Amino acid sequence: MTTATAARPVTARRTTDRSAAESRLATKLVAPAVILMLLVTAYPMLQALYLSLFRYRLTTPGEREFVGLNNYTTALTDSLFWNDLFNTVVIMVVSVAVELVIGFAFAMVMHKIIFGRGVMRTSILIPYGIITVVSAFAWQFAFSLNNGFVNGWLSWLPWISPDTNWFGSHWPAMFAIIASEIWKTTPFMSLLLLAGLSQVSEDMLEAAQVDGATWFQRLYKVILPNMRAAIMVAVLFRALDAFRIFDNIFVMTKGAQKTESSSFLTYRQVIEQFQLGMGSALSVLLFLSVLILAFGIVKLFRVDLAQARGES
Amino acid sequence: MATRSQRKQLAVAAILALMAALLAACGGSSSAKPTLNWYINPDTGGQDAVAKKCSTDQYTIATQVLPTDATQQRIQLARRLAASDSSIDLMSIDPPYTAEFANAGYLAPIADRFAAKLKSQSFKSAIAAATWKGKLVVAPFWSNTQVLWYRKSFVDKAGIDMSKPVTWDQLIKVASQNGGTVAVQANRYEGYVVWINALVSGAGGSLVQDAAKGVDAKITINSPAGEDAAKVIEELAGSSAKPADLSVSTEGTASTTFGSSKGAFMVNWTFIWHNYDETDPAVAKDIGYAMYPETVAGEQARPPYGGIGIGVSSFSNHIDLATKAMECITSPDNQGINAELTGNMPASAAGYDYPPLKKLYPPDLLALFQKSLQVAAPRSVTPYWGDISSAILSTWHSPTSVNDQTPQESATFIEQVLKGDALL
Amino acid sequence: MKQRSGLGTWVGFALILVWCLLPVVWIISLSFKPVAETTVGSPQFLPKTWTIQNYKDILDNPDFQHALLNSFGIALISTALAVVFAMFCAYAIARLEFRGKRLVLSLALAIAMFPVVALVGPLFDLWRSIGLFNTWPGLIIPYMSFTLPLAIWTLSAFFREIPWEMEQAAQVDGATSWQAFRKVIVPLAAPGVFTAAILTFFFAWNEFVLAISLTSTTASRTVPAQLSYFVGPDPFNPPYSQLATASVIVTIPVIIIVLLFQRRIVAGLTSGAVKG
Repeated sequence: MTTATAARPVTARRTTDRSAAESRLATKLVAPAVILMLLVTAYPMLQALYLSLFRYRLTTPGEREFVGLNNYTTALTDSLFWNDLFNTVVIMVVSVAVELVIGFAFAMVMHKIIFGRGVMRTSILIPYGIITVVSAFAWQFAFSLNNGFVNGWLSWLPWISPDTNWFGSHWPAMFAIIASEIWKTTPFMSLLLLAGLSQVSEDMLEAAQVDGATWFQRLYKVILPNMRAAIMVAVLFRALDAFRIFDNIFVMTKGAQKTESSSFLTYRQVIEQFQLGMGSALSVLLFLSVLILAFGIVKLFRVDLAQARGES
Repeated sequence: MATRSQRKQLAVAAILALMAALLAACGGSSSAKPTLNWYINPDTGGQDAVAKKCSTDQYTIATQVLPTDATQQRIQLARRLAASDSSIDLMSIDPPYTAEFANAGYLAPIADRFAAKLKSQSFKSAIAAATWKGKLVVAPFWSNTQVLWYRKSFVDKAGIDMSKPVTWDQLIKVASQNGGTVAVQANRYEGYVVWINALVSGAGGSLVQDAAKGVDAKITINSPAGEDAAKVIEELAGSSAKPADLSVSTEGTASTTFGSSKGAFMVNWTFIWHNYDETDPAVAKDIGYAMYPETVAGEQARPPYGGIGIGVSSFSNHIDLATKAMECITSPDNQGINAELTGNMPASAAGYDYPPLKKLYPPDLLALFQKSLQVAAPRSVTPYWGDISSAILSTWHSPTSVNDQTPQESATFIEQVLKGDALL
Repeated sequence: MKQRSGLGTWVGFALILVWCLLPVVWIISLSFKPVAETTVGSPQFLPKTWTIQNYKDILDNPDFQHALLNSFGIALISTALAVVFAMFCAYAIARLEFRGKRLVLSLALAIAMFPVVALVGPLFDLWRSIGLFNTWPGLIIPYMSFTLPLAIWTLSAFFREIPWEMEQAAQVDGATSWQAFRKVIVPLAAPGVFTAAILTFFFAWNEFVLAISLTSTTASRTVPAQLSYFVGPDPFNPPYSQLATASVIVTIPVIIIVLLFQRRIVAGLTSGAVKG
């Protein structure tokens, strides 16, 4: 964006009046959206910061007391907090990694395909558009002991029997949750990757082929480096999205079998236990984790979003 | 192409339509005859029928259904009450949350005259569950209890005598030796705490003492009785009598297990008696019943107490009318009608006299229900039940993880939670 | 690479279809199972007996009707408002020179990444004290704010591709910036606006955390929230097949939109994030 001025050679010819008027108009046009966005995020966040200093329970409001940073120390020294954070990271890493692979395969197929593009686009957009709760139900029922087909279909595997209770222990339950998450969001990933793939120049690929590069060499030397920006943006968006996972867990396990995520923990404190003080402290911590995560990904992979959008 | 003024008109019309939609969404009905909103737990039509019957020329009672599980019912109600929402008039409240609501001032007081009447008509356990700080705060409507259900064919095959009291240990052994299951409720939800409470009480213990002290209540789950309870759960979870879905089992899945070919024993509420009439008549004919199993041989079993008390919201705009409605709803006859339609038994002996019930249930089963209610163990009446119950769940679930350390771990954890030193 | 598109591509095509549609077919199949069958346990993929009773029951269910109405109303209103605000904002970003442009974009990005759950507590507390708890505006306001970033990004990408000279020409003819915007940009931007609206609608239609936290009755509860509290004819057993039926019904609008506008949605998704 910094160089947007340069993209507009006319600017120099304008008088200062004109640009001042333009700036005023811009402020007017931008203001409603900015105010609205701040109203619903910044203000509540400040309130959360304030509330997090209290022991405050909605159903016993008379006992509200100032506790300073107690809620934070309690949360940060509690194994549940770290356990849930670990779950969240596991879900995020596994689902993004798997989606990246499957999504890339999808993108390759979609890129090459000549027939049935419409059918393919339609079917790939259905998981994208479907309500997450519905996806969670579909997968929960599929894995369900009494009403699911998964046990029957996979009973040839040595560790699966008709009596396998997927939601009866930690890892199988996590598997079901991650499966639902992956199914629902792979299309998004594959579409972003497809857009990146279509920007890889065919000439370079052909040149590589003429030079005798194998398929894998072309993939690693030509395709992937040229798609770097697209991949990083896809990873960033999906990772932050997966980090907020809530719907699937709410529907499938309600946090049983230690499958709780950080979002779910925060939700439970606030909405189920009416602990507005502790809940607010967790909200602040959750917000900070997302910030750190976003910052980390951007720095680590040197994603330049502006550049990725072609704004430079 | 539309002219500029036409477009303006369109824009204005669109904005008006939007505002109208918003207003319609916010506005309530304000007709002369008030509607009393009664928030009910889901059932098979009993409370709807009573609502119709108790509607008068003065007011209409409309029912609003709450979610299935008790914890969610509490959340839905408490959030609205915390928002001082006047659109709740009457509520069906599950016993463990009565104290919390009363303590927070969400319940309109019950007049002494009516309270006296309720005290004389209701079962003792129902009154105990409906009382907070010495005052009756909700009107007992139905009182439920669990009994031991068994498959007659299985018992005949296994050769166990069900006429005498049986222990959990016996049941688990008999079931696993003969290829049967013992169905219970052990999902991560209130129903599991109901079971744990019954087991601990059956061994002569309790989860909490001096519950009225709130945060400073004495946690007593770490006791020999708590260990006896843990032993039963550990034994079942480690035996072949364990249902495949033990860790996610609820009242509903338990009845599925019980109705399957491996069905043998089950503890469950009174509705089970007519549960299979339509889906599986062969099972319906095969059901036998007995007193809830003993935790410790020779010690009186303490079956769970469940039920519903009717409360009037203190934020209602029609407290007088709602109180009248509450009197009508909780009358023994209406308790009978509700029981007839739902299998949720009356909170009073007079309710049991409702003639159709005698046709629907054999006399010895009705007697068993009432006897169970007399010895039933209510969950502790404390405004912190929600915390205590969740803390128990997070240490006792899943059932396969329960061992002799569990009672002590849960006691420590509950104390930390109540003091705000641990996350729940 | 072109030569390799043969069998492999066909297999890939088939696999993608199975992957995307299997769970959808499964939930449709489940929706035709009688409630009694799922209560007893029905692990096979297809129903033993087919019934359309679930569809009758669900469409007759007043709670579900309310939820559908709420979902449509709330999603449409928030979409309309968000797109209007986003249009103004994106126009300014794409066409006008002003300080703080980068700030606005960063803010939008930050909000797109915001953990919604973190707001639930303070918003609940605020909403209950000003009477917005369990109302339509109580959901519309946050939905607008959370869909604005996506709409702004998508729209500004679209706006940037609109031929700049035409607006300039209009301005030379004496039109103000505002007139140039309305007469020239609006018709050209309509497809982009439409795409942004679809993506925004999907978000609002899908949203769950706020829907369960800021509502408590059918006065404002949307379909995703209603589904998770759904009570069937048997209070002790979740009505699997009826839940599946409700799921199928709420997926129909999604499928219709996808069928009609797949090209636009793909364009919108990719332009917002990758393409310039």
